[in-house]
Amino acid sequence: MALKLIRRITGALVFQLDTPLTLLLLFSLAVFIAILVMPLITLLARPAIGISMDVVRGLLAYPYVVWPPLGEWIIGVDRGDHKLIILRFKDMGVILNTLAIAFSVTVLATVVGVLVAYVSARYEFPGRALLRILALVPLLYTPFVNAFVAYKIFGDNGILYNTMVWLNLGYALEVTYIAGVIIAQTMMFWPIVYLNTLAALLQIDPSLEEQAENMGARGFKLFRSVTLPLSLPGIAAGAGLVFIFSMEDLAAPIAFKVDRVVSREIVKAIVGSRDIEALSVEVVILAGLLLTSALLWFIAVKHYVSLRHYAMIVRGGRWKPRVAKPGLPMYIAIYLAVFPIVIFSMLPQLGVLVYAFSESWFGVLPSGFTLDHFRELLRDPNVVNGLRNSVVYSTIAITLIVVTSTTIAYIVSRVKVTGVGVLDVLATSPLAIPGLSIALGLVILYSLGPFKDSFLDPFRNPAVLIALAYAVRKGPFTTRAVYAGLQQVHQTLEEAGMNMGASRFRVLFTIVLPLIGLNVMAGAIVSFVYCMTEVSTSIVLGALNPEQAPVTYVIYEYVTAGYGGGAFIHLAAAIVALTMALQILAITISNYILRFRYAFLGV
Amino acid sequence: MAEVRLEGVSKYFGRFKALDRVSFTVNPGEFFTLLGPSGCGKTTTLRVIAGFEIPEEGRVYIDGVDVTFKKPYERNTAMVFQNYALWPHMTVFDNVAYGLKVRGYSRDEIRRRVNWALDLLGLKGLENRYPLQLSGGQQQRVALARAIVVEPKVLLLDEPLSNLDARLRIRVREEIVLLQRKLRITAIYVTHDQEEAMSISDRIAVMDRGRIVQIGTPWEVYSNPANLFVATFMGRSNVLDGIIAGREADGLYIVDINGLKLYGTSRESLREGDRVKVVIRNEDAEPLEGDRVQPNVIEGKVVRSSLIGFAIQVKLLLSNGETISVYLRNKTAVNEGERMRVYISPEDVKIYRSLEALAE
Repeated sequence: MALKLIRRITGALVFQLDTPLTLLLLFSLAVFIAILVMPLITLLARPAIGISMDVVRGLLAYPYVVWPPLGEWIIGVDRGDHKLIILRFKDMGVILNTLAIAFSVTVLATVVGVLVAYVSARYEFPGRALLRILALVPLLYTPFVNAFVAYKIFGDNGILYNTMVWLNLGYALEVTYIAGVIIAQTMMFWPIVYLNTLAALLQIDPSLEEQAENMGARGFKLFRSVTLPLSLPGIAAGAGLVFIFSMEDLAAPIAFKVDRVVSREIVKAIVGSRDIEALSVEVVILAGLLLTSALLWFIAVKHYVSLRHYAMIVRGGRWKPRVAKPGLPMYIAIYLAVFPIVIFSMLPQLGVLVYAFSESWFGVLPSGFTLDHFRELLRDPNVVNGLRNSVVYSTIAITLIVVTSTTIAYIVSRVKVTGVGVLDVLATSPLAIPGLSIALGLVILYSLGPFKDSFLDPFRNPAVLIALAYAVRKGPFTTRAVYAGLQQVHQTLEEAGMNMGASRFRVLFTIVLPLIGLNVMAGAIVSFVYCMTEVSTSIVLGALNPEQAPVTYVIYEYVTAGYGGGAFIHLAAAIVALTMALQILAITISNYILRFRYAFLGV
Repeated sequence: MAEVRLEGVSKYFGRFKALDRVSFTVNPGEFFTLLGPSGCGKTTTLRVIAGFEIPEEGRVYIDGVDVTFKKPYERNTAMVFQNYALWPHMTVFDNVAYGLKVRGYSRDEIRRRVNWALDLLGLKGLENRYPLQLSGGQQQRVALARAIVVEPKVLLLDEPLSNLDARLRIRVREEIVLLQRKLRITAIYVTHDQEEAMSISDRIAVMDRGRIVQIGTPWEVYSNPANLFVATFMGRSNVLDGIIAGREADGLYIVDINGLKLYGTSRESLREGDRVKVVIRNEDAEPLEGDRVQPNVIEGKVVRSSLIGFAIQVKLLLSNGETISVYLRNKTAVNEGERMRVYISPEDVKIYRSLEALAE
């Protein structure tokens, strides 16, 4: 039975692909299996070696589960002329903290994201175009420094506190510790829900809403009964991603000095120890938990992350969207609530620029405009080395990406055989799979057994695995761009070529590639830039041999060393500012080439 | 000029049976048309011949060679696609030259052949244009030129005229036939337009739901349809329900249509009491003057009459309550409310069993 299926699949494949294409497919599969599938399987299987009831019991106790929780939810401090309120939330242990943070962030981000998306999609008002652009600013990758800025705003003696004191309000607020992480991550991630919801809203056939309106449903009732259910898949996709990103985020916990979360535990274990054997089972299980939750969500919404769905979104709304002029209450809501939220969320990115260009920034206001940090960068051997490594790894990665992404996108798009969907999943899943889990899996797999001390061993040459990890993790952007382009190339154009005597491979080169070349390029540009700003594997693998570490590892080092706001943080900010410029440039070029609305849809 | 032969070809898409044991032979140099409504499998059949689909059962032979499992680029067929499939990033010249380049001809040879093909199709002067700069008719010709320049064994045409307006369609289909005759290429043509099929084909294969229902010359298929489907697909006709009332010695059947009795013919063997469908083509009714009683005369009241150009279309309400449409070529004005008598020859009263038996 299964044999017959395999024979049918291989028969169809062999017929539909030629030898060169089949080889390319096998090569691409090999890359994904070696860098994605095997490490993740290793990660999930390894605990089986060390697991025992003791381990499980241990995971349900301190420090993983702390019950009753430690600390305070809120602290009130009398400071004389004002009362200080510190929002902290209690420490519930590594696992519970992580889950509680993730849940809270997801809920808050969803509320904000859906609100902004709804307003932006269904209403017409001055400044709407600006709102849409500003809403995307937090999606610029600004590793670590953005969370640091959030801490500077909300945290200990922060800008919020000082402003409220200065305004003589009688009360002043600080949001620190776990509460701070929640706020910071919400600011960072709500645009993900916004993007997915906006795309979903624009896809809704207006006649569906009109029909309901015709029957008497208006306002909130209409929203609740028609609009919300129809856009739920998009919202769910966005919300799920936020959950995963929150769980694996390092930046906010570092900035707000929260040690007891899964992401920090994992990094601490690796960066601290040089011995993979000593890696505690608990850490591996944690990484496995991260992975499992990501996979569960991915399976639930995989259709909405698939290439086919992306291509549909990218072709744009097929209908004229329903927009209304807002009434007065809505106007007030837009300008007094929505805009402020959006602008507020941009502050971390703006703060990066402030840090990058200012001599110091201790109080509320920075002082001394300077370009010294940038000059310092180019003199700092760590930075120069890191930048050079990043460029090398990213270049190698996009070469691999172009080959594998084009192959996979082509096969998923053109070949009709059962099992092709698996390729689609393989190619897009890296978007959702936590980088830390991949990193840990890579370290475990390639430093033990037959790989120990080989050139692949990350304890000797993390460079190899870093470049390969980049190729797998940041490939989806190119795969999506190529796939969307292929949707616009009618299949008959290739059939005509084959009819004229050209093999499929020749058709690929003479007919298909010329027509999608721009898509490949646009996708590769975006992938390159995201390789340059990749964090998880860069840190974990880079720590094993700092000589070979990419620049994001350098940023991490500088940020963790610059707790007090010393010169390190300014340097880190300068590096990040450079990458911001790079991203904006890449996205602009890519969007211009493709004229897509969501070409850089990072999520 | 090659012979094309299909033997028992079946094709499945998942559980859906798109082709059911399709068999036919196209003679060398013949213009053979696959005719049928949307979804009947005619395009699928063409794609099987071209090699874009592999059948689950059966065999395909081109010029005696079994090509069933050969790749599309190993068959030396040339297809003209419904949407022309011209490569937008190549000029007209490069589009036409592509097949020759693949075959390895020299630059000069390519130039000579391409110019010949462009000339033949009246495209001289358009070599350096891009497909998007051409009209629909011109694009179609480029597609044709590209197909014939490689001197294929078989020319396959998938509804090539459906994107052209009505008048252009008629003109271009004549040109296609002339071209095919001149070059003496075996051609297999797919269309849903029965008038078009009859106009240009040597033989027609009528298809219905994946099966070949009848193969014959246009004349055969039109005047002697194998079953109810073919009878109603070709031409414009009235379909009435009736019961066989008896059979004459000369083979004619007497059919009772709700009180009205007519003589008719059938390809099937029917018995008294069988429920049948009676097909009468619109143009087969001859108006009669006078009151002479004779068999196969239908009398009715004109409830509607309109000029459709070459004839007057008249709707007659019959004594048994049914209405039929007839075309009167003699375009004398007919008034509503008039009584009219029309005669239909027994050969033109085609009878088929009511539960249509699909032809095997």
